Amino acid sequence: MDAFLLLDQWAFLIPLLMVVSFALVGLFGTRLRALEWGGWAAVGIGGIAMVLGVGIAIGEMLHPGTYVNAQYTWLHLAGTPGPFPEGISLVAGTLVDPLSALMLLVVTVVGFLVLLYSIGYMHHDRGLPRYYAELSLFLAAMTGLVLSNNLLEFFLFWELVGVCSYFLIGFYYEKPSAASAAKEAFLVTRIGDVLFLLGIFIYFFHFATTGPSGGWAANGFVFAHGTSPFLPTGSVGSSTLLTIAGLMILGGAAGKSAQFPLHVWLPDAMEGPTTVSALIHAATMVAAGVYLLAVTSVFIGFTATDQLAIVAVGGFTTFFAATMAVVHPDIKRVIAYSTISQLGYMVMAVGAGFAMVGLFHLFTHAFFKALLFLAAGSVIHALGTQDLFKMGGLRKPMRVTGTAFAIGGLALAGIPPFAGFWSKDDILGSMYGELGSHPLYWPFWILALLAVFLTAYYIFRAWFLAFGGNGPRDPTLPPAHEGSWVMQVPLVILSGMAVFGGLLIFVPGFQGLLLYGAGASGIPPVYGPTDLALSGISVTLGAAGIGVAYWLWGNGRIFVLPESSPLQPVRRLLLNRYYLKAAYDWVGARAVYGIARGADFVDRYVIDGTVHGFERAFGAASDRLRRGQTGVVSDYAAYVIAGLLGVFVLLLLVAPYLLAHLGGT
Amino acid sequence: MVAFSSFVGPFVPELLLLGGMLLVLLLDVLGVRRNETLATVALTALALAFLSILGDLGFAPLGVLATVGPGALNVAPAAGAAPLYHLTSFGLIFQAIFLVAALLVVLASSSRPSGERGAPIFYGLLLLATVGMLLVAVASDLIFLLLAVEVVGVPSYLLVAYRRGEARSMEAAMKFFIVGALSTVLSFYGASLLFGAYGSTNLFVIHAAAASVGTPVLVLVGYGFLLAGLAFKVTLVPFHAWAVDVYDGAPTDVTAFLAGGTKKIGLFAFFLVFLGPVLLVHPATAGASPFGGGPLDLGPTLSIALGVIAVLTMTVGNLLALLQKEMKRMLAYSSISQAGYMLIGVTIGTAPALTGATLQILAHVLMKGGAFLVVAGVAGLGIGPLIDDWKGLGVRRPLLGAAFALMLLSLAGVPLTIGFVSKFVLFSSAVQAQGWFIWLAVAGLLNSALSVFYYARVLKVMYFDRTDPIAAIEAPPASGLGAGGLGYGRAAAIGLAAVLIVGIGLYPQPILGAIQSAAQHFLLTGV
Repeated sequence: MDAFLLLDQWAFLIPLLMVVSFALVGLFGTRLRALEWGGWAAVGIGGIAMVLGVGIAIGEMLHPGTYVNAQYTWLHLAGTPGPFPEGISLVAGTLVDPLSALMLLVVTVVGFLVLLYSIGYMHHDRGLPRYYAELSLFLAAMTGLVLSNNLLEFFLFWELVGVCSYFLIGFYYEKPSAASAAKEAFLVTRIGDVLFLLGIFIYFFHFATTGPSGGWAANGFVFAHGTSPFLPTGSVGSSTLLTIAGLMILGGAAGKSAQFPLHVWLPDAMEGPTTVSALIHAATMVAAGVYLLAVTSVFIGFTATDQLAIVAVGGFTTFFAATMAVVHPDIKRVIAYSTISQLGYMVMAVGAGFAMVGLFHLFTHAFFKALLFLAAGSVIHALGTQDLFKMGGLRKPMRVTGTAFAIGGLALAGIPPFAGFWSKDDILGSMYGELGSHPLYWPFWILALLAVFLTAYYIFRAWFLAFGGNGPRDPTLPPAHEGSWVMQVPLVILSGMAVFGGLLIFVPGFQGLLLYGAGASGIPPVYGPTDLALSGISVTLGAAGIGVAYWLWGNGRIFVLPESSPLQPVRRLLLNRYYLKAAYDWVGARAVYGIARGADFVDRYVIDGTVHGFERAFGAASDRLRRGQTGVVSDYAAYVIAGLLGVFVLLLLVAPYLLAHLGGT
Repeated sequence: MVAFSSFVGPFVPELLLLGGMLLVLLLDVLGVRRNETLATVALTALALAFLSILGDLGFAPLGVLATVGPGALNVAPAAGAAPLYHLTSFGLIFQAIFLVAALLVVLASSSRPSGERGAPIFYGLLLLATVGMLLVAVASDLIFLLLAVEVVGVPSYLLVAYRRGEARSMEAAMKFFIVGALSTVLSFYGASLLFGAYGSTNLFVIHAAAASVGTPVLVLVGYGFLLAGLAFKVTLVPFHAWAVDVYDGAPTDVTAFLAGGTKKIGLFAFFLVFLGPVLLVHPATAGASPFGGGPLDLGPTLSIALGVIAVLTMTVGNLLALLQKEMKRMLAYSSISQAGYMLIGVTIGTAPALTGATLQILAHVLMKGGAFLVVAGVAGLGIGPLIDDWKGLGVRRPLLGAAFALMLLSLAGVPLTIGFVSKFVLFSSAVQAQGWFIWLAVAGLLNSALSVFYYARVLKVMYFDRTDPIAAIEAPPASGLGAGGLGYGRAAAIGLAAVLIVGIGLYPQPILGAIQSAAQHFLLTGV
């Protein structure tokens, strides 16, 4: 009983273990006789972390709604009159609560399975120690983020997650496309990070003196205090400033969780190893954005405008991403678009106020998405290609993989009793109950409903193309085979979770994980299908999607859109990803490189030119200086004189001007 | 105000260093030129001086320890007294920081090749420059201050050129000297103008008189000259141009000393000279600007001018660092941008801001000094000057790579390093001060984000751009020194800097608290 609560105090061990694994494998991995040994070390440590994570989750199930906060004051700045009368503290600590326990369960279990699977998937790769070191650090960052007990610590781990994803997406850095995909992921999410940081600042200032024992700033901006959120609930109201802060948080989440319009990095992130994609898409990076929204909505709160914006972004992205998955020929990218789309559901649910419902979908999605990716990884491992149109007939030589992919597909399509059905239906049902009081939610809810059809269609299109038919369409492919046991075991475990994961909500203990502050912060817990008619509609849509996929692609059929079809422009638009990426590249190339070139230009021509100008102006004096020394030195002397004149201009003209316009101090 | 006599007596650290210097030169005359011996002498002198300063700090953490005025020793500054020498706990902290810089450099230099020419000159000059640095930290008179700055300046010109016969070093030294001499002239001219306005060169008198004399243009011009002269030392834009060539041309250990050590005296001089007027607010005596515009008010005018220069310095430094291909030049430009952050402390002038600037200075000693020591060591391993030459170093030399990576991460302000702590304190002090100071925090944050790019690029080269790993591992080290060709002294210095970077980053509270109370005390009693 209490052993679990004690365990919560030691939750920091989980990220610490993964850091140890990172240091161990990273520093000494190359020195080992067999490169796999480093991998097995990481798997072992990941296993211990998983045991701890599961233990913490079980503890939370046994003590529903418990908070355990463990922290130490990192640094404290004395107070001064102004916005922070009690000073500012930074604390480092962990908070174990239902939110973090649920996430910890997802991250450590999926993380461990991916580590294990990678032994088989990556065994031929010379960069194995680096891979395991980076993967360990990635898991350390994600578990640290989940356990953070304050926003700043959260942000630090958030950044670390971003850095690790940069390294992992660019793992095959010799490949130019991988290097540029990594850069793209880093830069696009960084836009979100800057917004997130601004949001944090607004919250910090606004709530600096709010809350018990000296205010939020003096207490290190922690989320929870005792057994309740630190900030009084409902303190958000409808302030414009806080609406902006909420939108900034949404921006941060949109960057990490690849929501429109910051979604462009995620499909390209497929350049990394498939195992990394599985981790990024299921449990780590993209989950961080949804988790951020959930944490913010529970501990700080969103204004009504923010909620609408979040619902709009989520609902639109759900549909938008699904349309792009419909035409794509690459097996990994189809799954990648489905991730964006599914994240849209979660974002929408959190935005509408159903944080735990959204996280429940994150939970089920993590398992079936990891399953889909690892199954796709098996295919790629066996064939060496990602092109769906070259594959075919794989269900016979790869029975485990084919079944696993089908189970993942059914879960994704929302067919009962597979996991995805329960959580997706929960989202649609909960939202449906709110539509009466929020009429503006309607269009986004309908988009989300339509996406169910598209989802079922595109995932089964992929299944029929890869596993259906009688044999590969490209005869040059090597004969397919299953991977070793380390690759099959994770597939089987994840298949089990994809079948039964959704049914967990009927287990009373598990409900404890979803019972976040029910009553206290007014988040109604919703279990299972609330509206049978609605469930009927969504299941019918899903089944119809599968049916259409079979009609067009089943039994080795290839559906070719006629050249004269009026749908051709639409197809091109979708294949080109709505031309958004091209547009971003154009802007990015001009903005970023333009600034750097501009600085270079200024230094080379403007500054040097000015200096030479002064030299000429000083005439004789300058000449005398130069005769004695090299030309360069007299340049620098001229710099000093020019600088001196600049200082006078600054002191006598610019400073008074600025003083008058900035209003003094 | 309570006066404490110093625990070990005034001038003891300075005398210890002078003794060490004389001993080094004596050994040279006697023909003992072994590098290890000379380094041991210098290290001992520095360590003793460091201990005596720690003793003073422990003895009277918040006292004005000693003042030396005309005819008076060890007395508290009476009202209207004009001491030359004024030892506060804040100054002691700076002395300690300066000594850390010198210690790291000497420790690293102890593992240089034994037969190198000019070694006695190197240690002698380094100790002499350190004496000057310690004197800067206790000055309370403009002339004393500027002379102390020269005591640092002249040896450092020579240090750059101590390897006679190396054309690049000689050229760098020549540039350094000419531009340095020019800025000295500017500083002294500024001091003479202030003397004309206030009738004294004593900083106490000047700051006290500023309230009654008001703000004639003469004063402003005087401060302008001083600003330009001292900005040279701190490498503020637009007085930064010499720094890159000199840092690049100097022997890298000397560069570590220049960037980590001597540059910081300029900042302390800024504290001494400008904090008084910056904090002065007396709108009643404000004069009108001779060129039209709003009224001239000394404090806010200087503060805004310093703020503009700070933002300019960090931005220009960062942008140019972004374009560099050589490691030393990149670090030199990054050093310029870091000076911009430090200047924020003077611009704001509150105790938290001073604390932040001091921490930033300490951080810079460790991370930039340390980084240049790594660069010097890596050059000894036969690796070229370009960033691209560092390919795969992180994999081949995991510990050296990790230490250098830590220094870069700290420079970028990544948490759990001292660089984050100092930037956090500095920027939150700007926020606490409110008003337009908040823009300094914004500029600082944007610049930090920008700087990540060029530091990350080095990390990428070190860890991800690999040449053939097997061949590189088996290449023999270029020198016959221990610790894989680095030499034990250098390895120890690099390790010490890295450990301090993380140690203070993880547990900043003791040092932060000490600096905070010393800064508060300095603002109450200091210059």
